Amino acid sequence: MPAYYLEALTVVLGIVLLMAEAFSSGKNKSWLGIAAAIGLTGILALTFFAIGPVEKPDSAWAKWPLWNFYNFDSLARFYKIFALVTTILVLLLAVDYRKILARFTETPDSEAGTGEFYCLPIFACAGMMWIASAKDLAGAFVALELITVTFYILVAFMRRNVGSLEAGVKYLIIGALSTGFLVYGIAWVYGTLGTMDLGTMSTLLQQNSTPVQLTPLLFGVALVLVGLGFKIGAVPMQVWIPDVYQGAPTPTTAFLSVGSKAAGFILTIRFLEPFLNSELTRGPVIIILTILAGATLLFGNLAAIAQTNFKRLLAYSSIAHAGFLLLALAAWKTETSTSIGSAQVVSVYLATYLLMTLGVFFILAQVRIQRDGESIAHFNGLGKTNPLLALSLTIFLAALAGVPLTAGFWGKFFVFSLAVEQQLWVPIIIACVSAAAGFYYYFKVIRAMWWSTSEEDKPVVLPTISKITVGVLTILVLVIGFWPEPILALLR
Amino acid sequence: MASLNDYLLVSGLLFAIGLAGVVMRRNIIIMFMCLELMLSAANLSLVAFSRFNVTPTGLPDYNGQMMVFFVITVAAAEVAVGLAIIVALYRARQTIHTDELTSLKG
Repeated sequence: MPAYYLEALTVVLGIVLLMAEAFSSGKNKSWLGIAAAIGLTGILALTFFAIGPVEKPDSAWAKWPLWNFYNFDSLARFYKIFALVTTILVLLLAVDYRKILARFTETPDSEAGTGEFYCLPIFACAGMMWIASAKDLAGAFVALELITVTFYILVAFMRRNVGSLEAGVKYLIIGALSTGFLVYGIAWVYGTLGTMDLGTMSTLLQQNSTPVQLTPLLFGVALVLVGLGFKIGAVPMQVWIPDVYQGAPTPTTAFLSVGSKAAGFILTIRFLEPFLNSELTRGPVIIILTILAGATLLFGNLAAIAQTNFKRLLAYSSIAHAGFLLLALAAWKTETSTSIGSAQVVSVYLATYLLMTLGVFFILAQVRIQRDGESIAHFNGLGKTNPLLALSLTIFLAALAGVPLTAGFWGKFFVFSLAVEQQLWVPIIIACVSAAAGFYYYFKVIRAMWWSTSEEDKPVVLPTISKITVGVLTILVLVIGFWPEPILALLR
Repeated sequence: MASLNDYLLVSGLLFAIGLAGVVMRRNIIIMFMCLELMLSAANLSLVAFSRFNVTPTGLPDYNGQMMVFFVITVAAAEVAVGLAIIVALYRARQTIHTDELTSLKG
């Protein structure tokens, strides 16, 4: 099966569900979320049968001009799986969060206004899948905007909640600003190299036969990096993250912090690959990346220390993780047969980040519904009322901090070993300080759960879907902590 | 005939005006207009680069102009969604000034 069928099927699934939602009269919309999750699981199974033109060069579709804009390699497959898994989990989270969603839509008493919330993530997912395969700047741009525009709606979805609307407007303005930077940057890169195709750029930069004007080219690359920094949450475009994460509906926040970030990183990898592999541009690009990584690490971790709202804390933590991922890119290394390269390290890190972050958001959503608040104080005494739930959350938070024998350790371990190999000593010191700060603010929540008392003695009851998902994610975090081989196998 | 530099200068000025507007103005509608200005500046650069990048056949390289159409389409979609959000915000808060959007703090 040609790989682009996957995106086509995803879009078809989204349109079919949107139509079904429009013509169904029922007040309960949770079936849409379940149907979407099942449909995406089917597409997830198909990703393992998808092939590119390399595997089957003599078939009719292998000669289509579409392959000038679309490639399919192991990295593309990995990020397609990543997008699908994230979307499925976010949809399940949305099903369990629908009480709050319904309360803040036009019809507070019924779920009639929540149907689109289950359909829109599918379109965003299609964008994330396409971006993983993009090999042309025009295609990458359109896929990126498909994700961004969908997210504008998802962030501002709770239209009777001022916080959600404010978050929507902030996301809109900063998002559109970053689009402006991105397009202007693409214009300069295109103007200097005369091509939109990333493969052609790579050959142009490596053969050195035609003189390349370095200043306008680097100007363009820097502008594109500013635009992409918005997606991945890197300084200086991180300003929207705390407010938007806090105001947006929790499933959207989870989707933003995992799916949208991963889409930004795969595009950053694809875009920077030609520049990092060329002798001509490697030096300056690595300097830009190192500065970005250091600033992002410092900002994310130091600002997180003072937070009392758990959702905001997770926002700063997501900036901090973006800093580690950027550090892996700054220590650029291509894959060899014996060791993994920067792109693979970023992928492993993101995969572990998916497991632990989504786990935290599943628990956060239920605490939000049943204890009516998202601050760390609302987690007080959770260890007494729900020992098992508190244990899961402890494992997720320990993994986010990077405790050995949890999944989060491997991501940080690979990043640090890459950085040591490339001898980036200053960023390594910053990263060590940041990791230490991370221990402090993640363990603040753990302390609240186990050692603080609260008047609340009613246990939090997890709905069935959340219970199963949290259980599976906890086990995966522990298993991958011992044995990261499954993720590495996916990347081959 | 105007040279590539003239076009780039104009587009750079447009981009700077747009950016300054987004940073300095407090009215969301005006900020949104300035954002469109930035996209137009980028489009102007793309067309100019495309026109002056002549391929061996004597025709301009059309990749840049194709990109412009995508940018225009995406900008239209962005405006459609964006204005809807701004209208919803105005209904809820009776204001479209960024100074008064202060419910999210930490």
